[in-house]
Amino acid sequence: MDILTAFGSGLATAFHPSNLLYCFVGVFLGTFIGVLPGIGSMAAIAMILPLSFYLEPGTAIIMIAGVYYGAEYGGSIASILMNIPGTPSSSITCIDGYPMARSGRAGVALFVSSIASFGGGIIGMVVMALLSPGLANLALSFGPAEYFSVILLGLIAASAVSNGGALKGIAMVFAGLMLATVGVDLTTGDLRFTMGVPELRDGVNLVIVAMGLFGVGELIASIRANSSGQGRQTIDYSQFYPTRAEWRASLGPILRGGGIGSFFGALPGTGQTVASAVAYAVEKKVSPNRANFGKGAVEGVAVPESANNSATQTAFIPTLTLGVPGSASMAMVIGALMIHGITPGPRLLVEHGDLFWGLVASFLIGNVMLLILNIPLIGLWVRLLQIPYRYMYPTIIVLICIGVYSLNNNVFDIWLTLFFGIAGYLMRLFRFEPAPLLIGFVLGPMMEEQLRRALLLSRGDPMVFIERPISGTLIAVTAGILVYGLWTTFRARRRSRSASISMSE
Amino acid sequence: MKHFGSFRTSLAALTAGTLAVSMSTAVAEPGSWTGEPVRIVVTFPPGGTSDLVARLLAKYLDSEFGQKAVVDNRPGAAGTVAADYVAQQDPDGTTLMIANNAPFTIAPTQFESLPYDPMAGFTHIAFIGSSSPGLFVKPDSGITTVAEFIAAAKETPVTYGSSGVGSISHILGEAVDGELGIETIHVPYQGSAPAIQDFRAGVLDTFYDMVAQNSDMIEDREAVAIAIAAPERFPGVPEVPTFAEQGYDIVIENWVGLTGPAGIDPAMAETIRETTEAVLALPEVVASMADLGINTKPMSGEDYTTFVETQIGVWEPLIIAAGIQGK
Repeated sequence: MDILTAFGSGLATAFHPSNLLYCFVGVFLGTFIGVLPGIGSMAAIAMILPLSFYLEPGTAIIMIAGVYYGAEYGGSIASILMNIPGTPSSSITCIDGYPMARSGRAGVALFVSSIASFGGGIIGMVVMALLSPGLANLALSFGPAEYFSVILLGLIAASAVSNGGALKGIAMVFAGLMLATVGVDLTTGDLRFTMGVPELRDGVNLVIVAMGLFGVGELIASIRANSSGQGRQTIDYSQFYPTRAEWRASLGPILRGGGIGSFFGALPGTGQTVASAVAYAVEKKVSPNRANFGKGAVEGVAVPESANNSATQTAFIPTLTLGVPGSASMAMVIGALMIHGITPGPRLLVEHGDLFWGLVASFLIGNVMLLILNIPLIGLWVRLLQIPYRYMYPTIIVLICIGVYSLNNNVFDIWLTLFFGIAGYLMRLFRFEPAPLLIGFVLGPMMEEQLRRALLLSRGDPMVFIERPISGTLIAVTAGILVYGLWTTFRARRRSRSASISMSE
Repeated sequence: MKHFGSFRTSLAALTAGTLAVSMSTAVAEPGSWTGEPVRIVVTFPPGGTSDLVARLLAKYLDSEFGQKAVVDNRPGAAGTVAADYVAQQDPDGTTLMIANNAPFTIAPTQFESLPYDPMAGFTHIAFIGSSSPGLFVKPDSGITTVAEFIAAAKETPVTYGSSGVGSISHILGEAVDGELGIETIHVPYQGSAPAIQDFRAGVLDTFYDMVAQNSDMIEDREAVAIAIAAPERFPGVPEVPTFAEQGYDIVIENWVGLTGPAGIDPAMAETIRETTEAVLALPEVVASMADLGINTKPMSGEDYTTFVETQIGVWEPLIIAAGIQGK
């Protein structure tokens, strides 16, 4: 259709000098904020929101969007270098990124992460340009039953993220689900497990759990590692850039991650963390290099970064075309538009087409800017590893405290982060993985909410999950994965048993 | 639509202008009241109506009167975190909050105990405005009046979406059930946007939300607002009849005001109120408030204080009826 013409005029809008300038301001601020642990795009958008009042609505939204996806670029840097996720969604990048850095390949990991972020961003942009109306309809055909089924699928896939035993992985997923029940029950308004603490009424914040388990836990562990003489990490300059084989290995994960990320981004509510977790789990099943996942596989860095960046772009589809914000950051995007008298919704594409296409085109420009900005900085970031721990870690602790405090401007959240930090350290000691817990924690409340809503609407009839076509298909796929998983475990066990029998003979 | 919009805006500006002139007999003059920047605490995360009102105020307090102001979002525990915080600050005019139903009229009945006193703990300074929710049904249902809705609801059970347990739309839903003598199925969501999405997708039969904010949906015939719970017909959506004129006594006002800690000097409070009203009378602010679906109304400090006190009484039976007490 006339998508190309529309995109062309969007490019013209996006190339307007003031739009270029504010796009750069946005992505620069976003990357910078993303690097800082605990301070996510939400805090950054809240900071620049007052500035957006003085801009044209189109320019304002281009700048705010830049902050939003810029943060995803920056988020992976601390994940790779220090095992401390800059944003919750980049905690999946820790799984392979940090082992890469430990083995001196931090440069390669950062390089691949930037390229994958770029690839994912472009895939997300193309999907948004081509499929916006279609994806808006997809989100509309997702009722509570469909949401429940897709989340169940994600959860089953996610229990495969763990690198320890399957049992430990499932235990961590359940721990996450249980943690997610703290707070007000959304269907009845009853308080659950708040132990009389008013701050727990709204549950535990995702950022607190991610920062505590990954960030603070890592810092506590490093105190011990440091006293026993394990010090700074080495940098292997001969392995600074990815090899040809690594380039080739990253291509498939970038494409798959971009596709999966685009889908989850377009569903309001699921978001980047789920996108990167599911993409990682899928990649771990299909990759020829799956044996090395968790030990520093480039694929394990490429896939979550591509997924979370494409999800970041497609998150704008429900926000703008349905007026349904998938996250707090997206709610602020809606707020920024409303203050200019523009109400996001089905009318936006028709009444403010120039704004929509200008934004889509700015994604292209913004992602190129981020790539140019990030690649030369890799050397600088890697050199950060040579800062002695005694300067580095107190700084990080302060940054985490600021980030966590900025969530609700509440000191209680800092104590809670410390609590999760100690929990994360203990989990590390006993070799439990924090990633499946985080995924269970993100998906649990959504799954419960949609399950109960679907049953409320069907007057308690569970057949609704099987009778509706999309939901039924998703349930069938989930069942298929479970059966396949059980069958492979069973076969492996029988083989090892017959092997041991033949050995004893 | 544009024409009506600008007409409405200019009319509102005219009215506000006239009112500003008639109010100018008061002692205080609008202007800066402290050399320090003022923090306007908001009970919700950035992006909602309270937040947008706070940001509009902050912007024009600075640009028009040189009074620096920053917005400080302290969400949590149904607004009580923010209210508790503000109650503990010095009454020097540097900490104010956007007051609304959640911590001031709903929480006192909903919660067993509160760390603050909604009346004695605060100086209620300036009323800003209010919006009212209404009942939306599907256009193809053929329902256009409350009487037809009752008949339909008695025939087959009707589902309604709200923006959460204990939210204003939930409380209205339960009040409607009680007043109309029907039983509907409540389906709570997190905020009105996802509920409206499921309504559009055909999952829900009806939903309750602020009427003026959904004027686009009404115009596009995507939803029919059969009644609004306002005292009288609402500016911006004059075609929507009230519950009262259809014979049902249901009035719910979702108000916002400017409130500070107890003990703010009366003269300073009066300056804050005058300045706030001057900001609210600016044509740009009048237009933005209309977009947000808020009907602004000047009110004296005493009247606003009485208003909050009466509202606690108005909400009490509604909250008990909704069954969210002690939760």
